[in-house]
Amino acid sequence: MEQKPKPYMNPYLAGFLLGLVLLSAFFITGRGLGASGAAKSVVIETIGSVAPDYAAEHPFYKSFFATGDGRPMKNWLVYLTLGVLGGAFFSGFMSGRAGFKIDKGPRISNGTRLLFASIGGFLFGVGAQFGRGCTSGAALSGMAVLSSAGFLTMMAIFGTGYIVAYFFRKLWINA
Amino acid sequence: MGPLIPLGFINPDLSLFFAFVIGLGFGYVLEQGGFSNSRKLAGVFYGYDFVVLRVFFTAAITAALGLQLFAYMGWVELDLLYVNPTFLWSAIVGGAIMGVGFITGGFCPGTSMVAAIIGKIDAMFFIIGMMLGIFFFGSLYDTFKPLYTSFDFGSIYVYDTLGISREWFVFFLVVIALAAFIITRKIEDNINGVKGTPGLLFHKSYTGPVALMLGLAVLLLLLPSSPKAKWYEEDAQQLLAEAASESHYAPSDEIAYKLLHPKENDLLLIDVRPETSFAAFSFPGSINIPLNKLLEPQYDKALFEAGKPIVFYSYASTDADQAWLLMRRAGLKDARVLKDGLNGFFEVLFAEKHETNSLDEMQQFDVRFRERAMEAFKTGEAAEKMNPKGSPVKTIVEIQPPAAGKGGC
Repeated sequence: MEQKPKPYMNPYLAGFLLGLVLLSAFFITGRGLGASGAAKSVVIETIGSVAPDYAAEHPFYKSFFATGDGRPMKNWLVYLTLGVLGGAFFSGFMSGRAGFKIDKGPRISNGTRLLFASIGGFLFGVGAQFGRGCTSGAALSGMAVLSSAGFLTMMAIFGTGYIVAYFFRKLWINA
Repeated sequence: MGPLIPLGFINPDLSLFFAFVIGLGFGYVLEQGGFSNSRKLAGVFYGYDFVVLRVFFTAAITAALGLQLFAYMGWVELDLLYVNPTFLWSAIVGGAIMGVGFITGGFCPGTSMVAAIIGKIDAMFFIIGMMLGIFFFGSLYDTFKPLYTSFDFGSIYVYDTLGISREWFVFFLVVIALAAFIITRKIEDNINGVKGTPGLLFHKSYTGPVALMLGLAVLLLLLPSSPKAKWYEEDAQQLLAEAASESHYAPSDEIAYKLLHPKENDLLLIDVRPETSFAAFSFPGSINIPLNKLLEPQYDKALFEAGKPIVFYSYASTDADQAWLLMRRAGLKDARVLKDGLNGFFEVLFAEKHETNSLDEMQQFDVRFRERAMEAFKTGEAAEKMNPKGSPVKTIVEIQPPAAGKGGC
């Protein structure tokens, strides 16, 4: 017998609460939120332990080992993301939404969905480096402090999304 | 008083703990908002579900309005917040790549974490892809570097870029957000074949929140442009009154008395003359903070955490007066200035004629005290009395200024 998941929170209320979380992040720590940074730390840590010599010489990776105590995982964004995982699991579990599942458009197979999810992740991984942050780190946090980069990145992400949406419509809708 | 960690109100060692706590809130709200569902997320691009726009825009205007109001109240120093730098083309190219990634992947990094932890398999694949993407960028870093590091405009603000005032920009942002909420609701209803509320811009229940947001934005516009003192700053009017009344001068007699009676000396004397003058002569137990170095952060502890009333002194009282004014403005509560400076001090003790005739009892007492003090200073008795165990505070611990907040995603 499966319990029916609880409905999602009112989006404006969720947005308001997210705004308060963001505000408190700035008020307490002086910086905003972020997500892709943790993935970057994992990548760098992995490369650092698998191929330490390569990482030590590499122009992109070496700075992460040179600064601080040289431990990419002891990082603000990593702990933030650990919190995100905890908070999200609590929320999903309490609302009856936890469980293995694939969300997708009505016209594609699970395999197609997973392939495109991986491609999308790959692009986000590359794009978040150029953008110096992703939707939360560059766009949302940047908008909160009214930085030009924040608005520019936000417009580039969503603008491009709308431009290419037509070509990927089969992934998501029936049209 | 904020940001709390960069300003030292909270031990930086706790920053990882706060990161975790803030993350808990972030993750909880994202999941509750429906951001663990890629189909809902992608809806923003096809018009069947604008939840992304609603949550994202509401969060942005809430935080932006909040930060502006906090700054106006003097609760947070905007200068200390991390403002992500603008590398023009890198941001545009990166944003465009992420836009395609959003459509194909159905997630952004934060939402993929939220979705993966509650079992969404597509999100797990997204995260693996993302790590490969980061590795790809790192591996070809030398190729990407010219684009990645060029067109650096630094940490610029969007209202400067647009050439309008910050208050007007925030106002327009709120108006645009509210308009977008109304329009996208109509589009969404249309696409999903839902009958909306004809004749109304938005459901009655939103009147309060809409009025609140608009009200705050208008309030920012109407508030006088120069805010009152920051939370730690003393009001300028108050300082002017204090300075004009000269109530901030400590008389020479008091200082002399306290120098001669170390047990009753509750003062911290701060010499604001240059180091060389301090080395040549100074009051016993005093510390030297030359006026031109007064604002350097390594002295903050000595000044603000002295735990004693402070008396500034210089040769005359001008330099000490300036130091007093600066530090009072910066929030130092209990501070005074040696009246007429060292010159005045020695004039009172040594040079004045100490006549005993025709003075009332109190004045006679003063005179006798001054004679006694003069004697003590001349014979060196004062120096002995001063600090039998050596000066308590001679050196000042150098502390590093807090590192500016760093962000990133």
